[in-house]
Amino acid sequence: MARLKSAADLEQARQKILSKRDPTKPCVTICSGTGCHALGSDKVYEALVSEISKNGLRRRVDLRRTGCHGFCERGPIIVIFPDEICYLGVKPEDVPEIISATLSGNRPIDRLLYEDGDGKKIAHEGEIPFYKYQRRMVFGSNRLIDPTNIDDYIALGGYSALGKVLFEMSPEEVLDTVKRANLRGRGGGGFPAGDKWETTRNTPGDIKYVIVNADEGDPGAFMDRSLLEGNPHSVLEGLIIGAYAIGSHEGFVYVRQEYPLAVNNLSLALSQARKYGLLGKNILGSGFDFDVTIHRGAGAFISGESSALMTAIEGMVGEPRPKYIRTAVSGVWERPSNLNNVETWANVPLIINRGTDWFTSIGTDGSKGTKIFSLVGKVKNTGLVEVPMGMTLREIIYTIGGGIRQGRKFKAVQTGGPSGGCLPESLIDLPVDFDELTKAGSMMGSGGMIVMDEDTCMVDVARYFLHFLADESCGKCVPCRAGLEQMVSILDRICEGEGETGDIELLEEISEVVRDASLCALGQTAPNPVLSTTKYFRDEYEAHIEGKRCPAGVCKALISYYIDPDKCTACGICLRDCPVEAISGGKNLVHIIDQEKCTKCSTCFEVCPTRFSAVVKISGEPVPVVPPLGTKVARKKGKQE
Amino acid sequence: MTKGKAKTRSKDLAGEGGLFPESVLSRISDKLGIPISEVSHVVETLGEVAQVAGDTDRIIEEYKGDKSALIQILLGIQRENRWLPSDVLMSVCEKLGVPISRAYRIATFYKAFSLNPQGRHQVSVCMGTACHVRGAPRLLDRVIEAVHIKPGETSLDQRFSLETVNCVGCCALGPVVVIDGDYHSNPAKKELEAVVSACD
Repeated sequence: MARLKSAADLEQARQKILSKRDPTKPCVTICSGTGCHALGSDKVYEALVSEISKNGLRRRVDLRRTGCHGFCERGPIIVIFPDEICYLGVKPEDVPEIISATLSGNRPIDRLLYEDGDGKKIAHEGEIPFYKYQRRMVFGSNRLIDPTNIDDYIALGGYSALGKVLFEMSPEEVLDTVKRANLRGRGGGGFPAGDKWETTRNTPGDIKYVIVNADEGDPGAFMDRSLLEGNPHSVLEGLIIGAYAIGSHEGFVYVRQEYPLAVNNLSLALSQARKYGLLGKNILGSGFDFDVTIHRGAGAFISGESSALMTAIEGMVGEPRPKYIRTAVSGVWERPSNLNNVETWANVPLIINRGTDWFTSIGTDGSKGTKIFSLVGKVKNTGLVEVPMGMTLREIIYTIGGGIRQGRKFKAVQTGGPSGGCLPESLIDLPVDFDELTKAGSMMGSGGMIVMDEDTCMVDVARYFLHFLADESCGKCVPCRAGLEQMVSILDRICEGEGETGDIELLEEISEVVRDASLCALGQTAPNPVLSTTKYFRDEYEAHIEGKRCPAGVCKALISYYIDPDKCTACGICLRDCPVEAISGGKNLVHIIDQEKCTKCSTCFEVCPTRFSAVVKISGEPVPVVPPLGTKVARKKGKQE
Repeated sequence: MTKGKAKTRSKDLAGEGGLFPESVLSRISDKLGIPISEVSHVVETLGEVAQVAGDTDRIIEEYKGDKSALIQILLGIQRENRWLPSDVLMSVCEKLGVPISRAYRIATFYKAFSLNPQGRHQVSVCMGTACHVRGAPRLLDRVIEAVHIKPGETSLDQRFSLETVNCVGCCALGPVVVIDGDYHSNPAKKELEAVVSACD
């Protein structure tokens, strides 16, 4: 297509794309996000290509590889339009039947459909409970478009917000719109984006920068990845609009090199947008110039902090600096630089197109719009969910997430990444927005939501986060560098069964110092995992310290395994699988674990068939006396009690 | 450049029709009194070094010799060569006109860089939160058992390098191990052994 020279050209181009597409023509879409890719969607795609051509359907059926649908747990996902029949967990061998039954015969295949708790099959993607209760306005287009094809985005009205801004609105009007929408930063802090834009705009200087922060370092969060991979143009359109409002002509996308597909899809998006005249000199013939450079991050959590990220763009080690002067005033090469997160930018075109009244009608008083969460951990339906601000944790975890796996009991949900906190069951009806989470001692962060059940040890979780943060601390300021090390060593001791009375208080005291005296947000929020767990799960700390017991049975030093002689059938599985040969026994002889040799790897516990359940895990009590070697088993294999 | 490519190129240098035919190699071997296998090893290494130097120049050229692109240039070299030899670091710094201390600081600060040769197969176990609560430590134990090295190590025959990473953004499938770019969701012992033995 030729370069677009006006908003009318863009609309014409869109009509032309639509005229070539028949909405009633069957279209098979297959999710090619990272989750589905890992589950083998490539092979399913190849099978689709070959089956479709084998059946001579190439002209009658469209095939499209889309971005992430969010229900990663059940991938690879196929949705067949126009009826939107959704198949989950598709394997290459299912493809011939999909073609013959569904495409040619118009019959759904029951076994590939979603089945709810009562055994009822659900054919349409939108009716699956996981999707039904979401509000997917930012993330929703992912399932409809091929991220490597700009035409798909334009067909859905993409870049029309940019056209509107460039020809119908002044930069001040754009700024005012974003401010009135009260769009808050989705990357963690929740700072109003409009205020930040205004600061950069009002700071004197000819050269200003706008930046996309896609250094998604929070372990357990992957919504930015899925947006950049699945709908890169929506982020780009938001960025160009922001640049126009701020008066910037140069932008950066800082993306982790661990996300190769995101880098690839974004690079393609940039070159396609340039070709269409949506990026570069004289965008859409408006006279506005703007271009973008991709900067790959080399793997450092701290480089996601705004001042550190900007230092990294300059080609230096990405360490933070004191922010007495905000980066919005003095950032990259000491020029005014406005940085927002991927999801924040992707919200901008929606606000421009649909207006502030619409946007502010969604969400709570202080937090407007939706938020994408990565709902992971011990929950049944894991994946990415987009919900209006203010939805309760219960609705997210139970209604959308389907509750806890394997009928276990909910214990806590961790929000906000490593700097967030763990919220207990008593807070499960908390409405989720920026302010409520902060009040409860956690934070929104970038939207990680890790569900934990009764088999998760909260002391171990706190130790895990502190290890992560101590490892990722850049070491520039003392409280963070030395404080976190001390906290790690105390937590290690507690988990090793060597905790002492007073350790909890000591942890809390160091936490306060680290929080108050650290240079950047990493150190200032690093104690959150400890403070929230000592507040809500103090009994678990006490059990570790006073009772030398790990209630969840996680901390290796505090647990033991033994084989119940009354239940053992001498089936030999644990004996064969034990990696350290700590189990002895023989045919018809009760198996016995040598406690000296046992490394508590839990292999025997996991492999012992559930109908026997002979391997027992205990904590805080002595291992029962087991019968001598050579004792015959009481219970025979295959016989039920 | 992959290791494989370097090998072919250096074999070209040493082998038939290359810069150094067999007869030349044997003359060098006679003259210096060292076995021909060592001579060809030296030539092979020279070929590799020349290749890396050529790639380095190309990558620097891609970024037009821009000093602020130092991290990007090092990432490019790391990706193609899988590690950053000290002579390469020095030549990059010389060409960009930046002190070696800056390159060294970057190479030791960021996780993506390695100052030691890496194995032919990269094994990364995700230690992200979602993977952690779903049993990443136990998966790591299984992986260690399968590849016989600990995190941060490379096998003596340079078959594997094992590392732990903080999140690969595949949280819904956790715990995850990534082997040469392929994701495996909580593989059992046998599945893991099958994947590992398929790596040469």
